[in-house]
Amino acid sequence: MTDSTDLIPSTIPPLLSPTTLAIRRFRKHTMAMMGLGLLVLLFLYVSFSGLILNGYCPPLGQTLYGEAWANCNDTGARLQPPSSEHLFGTDVIGRDILARTVYGGQISMLIGVSAAIMEVFLGALIGSVAAYYGGWVDSLLMRFTEAMLTIPSLFLLIIGARFFGGSLPTINFFGRELTGSVIAIILIIGATAWMYIARIVRANILSLRELDFVSAARALGASDRRIIFIHLLPNTMAPLIVSATLGVASAIISEAYVSFLGLGVQGATATWGNMLDGAYRYLETAPWLWFFPGTLILLTVLGINFVGDGLRDALDPRSSRHM
Amino acid sequence: MKRNLYVLLSLLVLASMTLAACGTPATEAPQAPVVTEPPAPTEPPAPTFSGTVTITFTQEPDNLNPMYTDMWFSGILREFYLKPAWTFDEKANPIPMLTTEIPSTENGGLSADGKTITIKLRDDITWSDGEPLTADDFVFTYDMVMSEKNVPLSRYPYEDYITSVEAKDPTTVVVTMNEPYAAWLTRLFSYILPKHILQPVFDKDGTIDNAEWNRNPTVGVGPFVLSEWETGSHLAFKANPNWIQPPKVEQVFILIVPDDAAQEAAILAGDTDFGVFLSSDQIAKLEADGKVKVVSVASGYDEAWFLNVNPDTARPFMLDVNVRKAIALATDRFTIVKDLLVESVNPVNVTYWDNTPPYQTDTLTPYPYDPEQAKTLLDAAGWKDSDGDGMRDKVIDGKKVDLKVRYITTTRELRKSVQAVVEQQWKLVGIGAELINHSSDVFWNGYNDGGPQAQGLYDIAEYSSVQSAFPDPDASAGFLCEQICNAENPDGANTQGYCNPDLDVLLKKQAITLDPKLRKELYNQIQQIIYDDYIYVGIWLDPDLWSINSRVKNVKLSGVQPFWNAHEWEVAE
Amino acid sequence: MTNYILRRLAQAIPQLFIISVILFALMQAFGDPIAMLGGRIPPRPEDKERLRRQMGLDQPIYMQYVTWLVGNDWQKIDMDGDGVPETYGKRAGILRGDWGNSLVTRQPVLKMIGERLPNTLLLMLTAEIIIIILSLALGLYSALRPYSLFDNIATGLSFIGYSMPVFWLALSLMYIFAVNFRRWGLPYLPTVGMYDPAVGKTSFELFKHMILPVTTLSIISIAGYSRFVRSSVLEVLGQDYIRTARAKGLRSMIVVRRHALPNAALPFITVIGLDIPFLLAGAVVTERIFAWPGMGRLFIDHTERADFPVLMGILMLIALAVVIFQIITDVVYSFVDPRIRLE
Repeated sequence: MTDSTDLIPSTIPPLLSPTTLAIRRFRKHTMAMMGLGLLVLLFLYVSFSGLILNGYCPPLGQTLYGEAWANCNDTGARLQPPSSEHLFGTDVIGRDILARTVYGGQISMLIGVSAAIMEVFLGALIGSVAAYYGGWVDSLLMRFTEAMLTIPSLFLLIIGARFFGGSLPTINFFGRELTGSVIAIILIIGATAWMYIARIVRANILSLRELDFVSAARALGASDRRIIFIHLLPNTMAPLIVSATLGVASAIISEAYVSFLGLGVQGATATWGNMLDGAYRYLETAPWLWFFPGTLILLTVLGINFVGDGLRDALDPRSSRHM
Repeated sequence: MKRNLYVLLSLLVLASMTLAACGTPATEAPQAPVVTEPPAPTEPPAPTFSGTVTITFTQEPDNLNPMYTDMWFSGILREFYLKPAWTFDEKANPIPMLTTEIPSTENGGLSADGKTITIKLRDDITWSDGEPLTADDFVFTYDMVMSEKNVPLSRYPYEDYITSVEAKDPTTVVVTMNEPYAAWLTRLFSYILPKHILQPVFDKDGTIDNAEWNRNPTVGVGPFVLSEWETGSHLAFKANPNWIQPPKVEQVFILIVPDDAAQEAAILAGDTDFGVFLSSDQIAKLEADGKVKVVSVASGYDEAWFLNVNPDTARPFMLDVNVRKAIALATDRFTIVKDLLVESVNPVNVTYWDNTPPYQTDTLTPYPYDPEQAKTLLDAAGWKDSDGDGMRDKVIDGKKVDLKVRYITTTRELRKSVQAVVEQQWKLVGIGAELINHSSDVFWNGYNDGGPQAQGLYDIAEYSSVQSAFPDPDASAGFLCEQICNAENPDGANTQGYCNPDLDVLLKKQAITLDPKLRKELYNQIQQIIYDDYIYVGIWLDPDLWSINSRVKNVKLSGVQPFWNAHEWEVAE
Repeated sequence: MTNYILRRLAQAIPQLFIISVILFALMQAFGDPIAMLGGRIPPRPEDKERLRRQMGLDQPIYMQYVTWLVGNDWQKIDMDGDGVPETYGKRAGILRGDWGNSLVTRQPVLKMIGERLPNTLLLMLTAEIIIIILSLALGLYSALRPYSLFDNIATGLSFIGYSMPVFWLALSLMYIFAVNFRRWGLPYLPTVGMYDPAVGKTSFELFKHMILPVTTLSIISIAGYSRFVRSSVLEVLGQDYIRTARAKGLRSMIVVRRHALPNAALPFITVIGLDIPFLLAGAVVTERIFAWPGMGRLFIDHTERADFPVLMGILMLIALAVVIFQIITDVVYSFVDPRIRLE
């Protein structure tokens, strides 16, 4: 008697879950993997360089480490081009630019990721509730979304900055003291970018809502909340994930724009965005001031976009790109 | 379909280009009528003009009728189109313009009790349309400011000090005041309105608030006349041949360029002849190729720290003069000025009046940089670092209070740099800092709008300021006890909450002292009191920095009225 | 179709109304315009009182909104501060066409907008046309030759362009082409302004001064849009019906022109259509740096002075344009995509 397994051709691949499928497709996407690698390197750069960084701070007469070194200013050594002491040069008051890109990168990435999470959360919530309930709830929420869309984002940014202004408390995040203005920026950028996501989610859920599995769930007595969060939203994950990834990139870029308008992170806290703003008046005379934070932003955006491309292809069931 | 789209789009571009080109027609001034008198035998030849001068402004004037605006950029244009009764040269000396001489006690212009001013006008001055300028115009100006039907920005000082303004004859104006007013020279008649143009408007509309002339003063008195104002872009002034000192230059253009770096590029490229509000760290770059010279003009401004000593809002450590002294001694302003600016242009100043000649101090020197003494003072005052966090603290009323100074200023880059440097300097002495930056409008908000200064939500506020009637030294509003800003007096100008009865007496006295020598004596005493109380810490002298392109000659900039000698400017083409 | 348009227009009215209320409420965060009027001489309390009355700022917020909406020439207000209303107001309200007067310049808001709008349109429409043409061309070409050298270079440049902050790009271009070219004796461009007042408002002057700002605006947008077009086209090219058309023997160019491009253009049209109303808002940073007298400058200059009438005027104009263009985009979309039925 032959083994029953002989009857199954060995060329049929085993059944895989959608997540595993997605990961496999992603891994085959060269650019996406390169982007991921780049992002990992950048993450390591901003997170762990601080442990190695140190330098002698003449005005304080001592060697400083980590963030203290990043904040050491020495006006006598201001605006120096890259040298062996300061690999990326010094800024307008003599702070080491390399150290500032590390700590500034922490804030910039934090802002990027938090703002993206916030806008995806808000957008998904509003879009799904509007689409699921329909009727006047949908009308109201959609009119509100459109109203927010008609208001130019600059105006919202200024209002947000005034509103959140100095009233947010300083928090301690993984050992760094973040002033209220960091939270304010996250809230402001998040509050001005959720509308597009809400629309996409609503469009998706509108088409999903009529499918059989939803009526089945309802027939089984599932609550609305359960249906929305457990059944509908996970099926719109693809565009959400892609939006979230790209949202990080655009939040980091928005941060530079907001800093130029004077609404950015206040105080001596560095971010890549406000380093670029600080370099504005020294564009010609001290290019190292903008070159390093600018390149880091570019690399981050590059990495994020490649990963986003890969995710879009990996998660899109209709994608016909060759593997 | 795509081709149609292309055609449509190209048409759109063409349409909008032509639309913009014909859009708003430039406001043309009517030709100034030629005075039709028979020429006297020794008539000088008609003046010829040549060349244009371009000036960049970083803000656009909002109104050209001085009644309705207090913008610096509107005010300085008056030397072109609306000369005042007298102006101030580059050494801040008063020079008669519309008058034959500056009224004083010697020539009888100023009465003995100081309450009557007799102004003698020149008889050869005409408005740019040929109408003679007489005492009636002075009276008209006073009437318009005081009229209930008009809403000027402020009726000060006419409402407060003047009892009447009369035209004794066409060339004599008599002003009577209710008490001697020391700042009369800078505040009275800094502009004259043309009666023959605005009276008809007033009669017809019942007010001159919305007069066409306010935004388009095509009739003025001065070396130039407004010929065009393209909002957002530029103003253009044409030479006025009817002025007693006709200019040499034909046209002056005022370009509105809000961005500092763009202005710098425009100066370097030669697209503008004058640049305004530069900072001393730009000097080297601008003068590098020898075509531009940067000039520093005493304008009354000083960058300084104003310390909060209001017993109701200030924190306990600020109320102790020794702590304030320690803070001043712990700050090395000299290195800041040397490294971040140009020391010769922006030296560390001592008093509020160091940029207001001749009232700068002759005896006092800046608080020195002495961190050791600062530490001693703080130790003696009971501030010690008991918890090892690098910041001194003290137990007051049972609670531990950290010596963490709330240091607020605006968002200007240079000020943020100063804050960071100071914070580090204070670390050596054990003083902590909380650095806050507010945007300008929030920074200057009043008490009822949550303004941080007005409400005393600070320990040290840094900004650059000047007396309101520069070059008159009077700045008493900021120091008088009765001007303390609080809930009962939300418009009070004394946001530091400083009250010193001896100082009050001196301040009130200087306001009515007309003799400059006696006044300077009073100011020496005033400055000593403020110096000893450590409520004002001078950071740097803040003169106005202008850049002048070498193609414009004979430019003498005044800190009061920069363009006072515009009629002497010449352009080497 | 007409029913659909009429219905959307009818919905637009309460929408605009709600937007105006939201905007007016948000505007209160801006602070006191009177405080921003003073220069060296802060107005004294009695002066501030008079100014407040004249500007109508002494009224409670909802009354200020009502006045803005329907005017106050049908009621008496207290102009002389004695507490007794005696003069009729002069405002007619926006519903009757009176957009109010600026608190800063005292000029009618419509006049101020009218002076700046053509300047902004000149800049933004030119930039938009260049952006559309170049994005389509670059995106299409890249999609037709994916992962080729051209595509990779274009992608790289796109990322650089996309992550450049606009202020850096603007100033760099200004320095290179206006300051340095002049220094090096090459033909150079002007630094700032819309035209040289000494020469006058000629087409050539406008053209010369437009080059740098339009380039700044275009580079960043083209970087973003070309990738969008590229991914749209790639997605369409992967569809079955394209494969069918090719299998049937249709030449590649025809396939692209008649099938791929129109379908890929649909999302592009939506995106562009939704962007057009914001052209009215101008490009705040670019206009500021190049000293271009447009709507963006008007907006940012008057934001600092808390000039409500002007800000409300600009924002309502934009809102109106957005609503109208959303309807137009939906209608155009329905014409281009036969699958869409508007009811």
